[in-house]
Amino acid sequence: MLEIDNLHASVEGGREILKGVTLHVKAGEVHAIMGPNGSGKSTLAGILAGRDGYVITAGSVTYDGRDLLALAPEDRARAGLFLAFQYPVEIPGVNNMYFLRMALNALRRARGEPDLDAGQFLKSVRAKLKTLEIEDDLLQRGVNVGFSGGEKKRNEIFQMAMLEPRLAILDETDSGLDIDALRIVANGINKLRTPERAVIMITHYQRLLDYVAPDFVHVLSEGRIVRSGDKSLAIELEKSGYVGVGA
Amino acid sequence: MPVKTEAAPYLDAFRANAAEPSWLRAARGAALEKFGERGFPSRREEAWRFTSLRPLLNMQFPPIATKGEGRATKSGYALTEGTHRLVFANGVLQSQIGDLPKGVWLASAARTLAEKPELIRGALNDTDLAGGQPFASLNAALFADGFVLALEPGVTLDRPIEIIHIADTVDAASIHLRNLITLAAGSRATVVESYFGEGSYWTNTVTTVSVGDGAALTQIKLQDESRAAIHFGTARVTLAASARYRNFGLALGASLSRQDVQVLLGDGADVEVAGAFLQRGEQDTTNAIVIDHAAPNGTTRELFKGVLDERAHAAFLGRIAVREGAQKTDAKQTSRTLLLSDRAAIDTKPELEIFADDVKCAHGATVGDLDKETLFFLRARGIGLDEARHMLIEAFVLEAIEMVEQPELREHLAGHIRRWLAREAA
Repeated sequence: MLEIDNLHASVEGGREILKGVTLHVKAGEVHAIMGPNGSGKSTLAGILAGRDGYVITAGSVTYDGRDLLALAPEDRARAGLFLAFQYPVEIPGVNNMYFLRMALNALRRARGEPDLDAGQFLKSVRAKLKTLEIEDDLLQRGVNVGFSGGEKKRNEIFQMAMLEPRLAILDETDSGLDIDALRIVANGINKLRTPERAVIMITHYQRLLDYVAPDFVHVLSEGRIVRSGDKSLAIELEKSGYVGVGA
Repeated sequence: MPVKTEAAPYLDAFRANAAEPSWLRAARGAALEKFGERGFPSRREEAWRFTSLRPLLNMQFPPIATKGEGRATKSGYALTEGTHRLVFANGVLQSQIGDLPKGVWLASAARTLAEKPELIRGALNDTDLAGGQPFASLNAALFADGFVLALEPGVTLDRPIEIIHIADTVDAASIHLRNLITLAAGSRATVVESYFGEGSYWTNTVTTVSVGDGAALTQIKLQDESRAAIHFGTARVTLAASARYRNFGLALGASLSRQDVQVLLGDGADVEVAGAFLQRGEQDTTNAIVIDHAAPNGTTRELFKGVLDERAHAAFLGRIAVREGAQKTDAKQTSRTLLLSDRAAIDTKPELEIFADDVKCAHGATVGDLDKETLFFLRARGIGLDEARHMLIEAFVLEAIEMVEQPELREHLAGHIRRWLAREAA
């Protein structure tokens, strides 16, 4: 589904952050990318989703055989890619429900499906809300306006649940969550686990992996994947730290 | 006194109507003389520093002589809900006004002059005759019509008064309108004015407003004039004790436009002045707001939201005066502008003049572009770039409309903002 090969990237006009990342993700797999601060985790997530401000100096990324990096961010989303933001933005004046319906209909149009009307949309929203324990009134506000940190992260997972991506990239979605919120978020991710979909979880800590068992764990350090393994690598990391695994 | 060159054609066009009462002919003559001596305001004057009058100097705009057609209902400018509607075409009233509630006078200025001349006398004030504001003086000399709304004490108008102005000219011409709104104690009304048209013309409208004790007036204006037009509007507002005044203006059209709102507050009066301007191409718009807290316990809220694209220019001049003795004044002024192009520009000039010690006064101004990360967020959810930009611009502008209480009016204005945004895409 996703093939990242020898990806080198710099901040526009600045230093090189990714120094040859190679990672292949197949449908049905859950990958965890772990690593210390400044290792390039969020840069990788941003580049995959199409954030401005980076220059690709070498390597390639293909998604379903297409050159992902040539696509505009909206076209990546329409092709089924989803980024859960580490710092979800607040958008005063843009109602959460309105925003979500616009997004969902944009994806549906791209798939040649008709727009959902307000009634159908609401029905779909109600069902997903319950599982994520999100209060109704949050949705009537501006996007993320007045949300707590945890509510913002849950809202990201709620959007993911509504948009049903084929490839979800979660950028430190677990940071700043208390244990109840973590359980709810993990539940949302597990619901998305199907043989047709894939998930990349970027995280600093091992604790999310207690709730969402990854198929593969990778350690990113100084812009390179320095180790890959199964779930046990995360446990080893927990014990001996990044230095202990050679990061 | 010599006559300024640019004023001469307007003096030549002046034909005092012999049928008018002698006091009015005398007033027009005095106002015209002052205008002739002063000519147009100069950019050396602080209030006109940021407004280029070149479009007005490049062309002469004699008072309009042709009749317009007045196709308001077809064009999306008329409100669908039942209103008391007056339609003016090229400055002349076209429509009949239906039944009005008791205690309400609503008529053209021409009819008011025939039946209630004392009201028109009230609409021509000393400033015009003294020449303090040249275009208002010119207006006093040349106005052919306008509207007059007068409410008796305690009368509440549930339906908005809707004033539609349609201009339709081949040759450049000017339309001078003189309006009067007087709300007696405890009365309430909402007035919605819309201006649009085709061709090169200059709309110059002056409205005198007086809101009595505890009365409440909401004035809404949609300016979507022809892109070859000039639009000047002046509202002079006097508020009695505990009066409430709301003014909202949306400026979308005209090559050059300017809105002057001058408010004098009585004890405990409550004012909200808000505006939104969306301009592109070489459009130029100015909002000049003067709030005069002459008595204690007054409240002022000002919020202006601007969106400037391409080479558009805007100016915001916001003066708040708190006179000696106007204690417990609470005034806040905010101006926020989005510059969508490197060549767009805004001049903002807040001015607070405070001569009382127990007051709260604040002002703030920001200028910026759409937030990049927010745009990325929307695009990362599948929303296209243009759509994402429109969503954010609309959300930005709509904050200024929130002060309009009626949801159907808010939606009407929002619809025009969306039309403006859609024009960009075309």
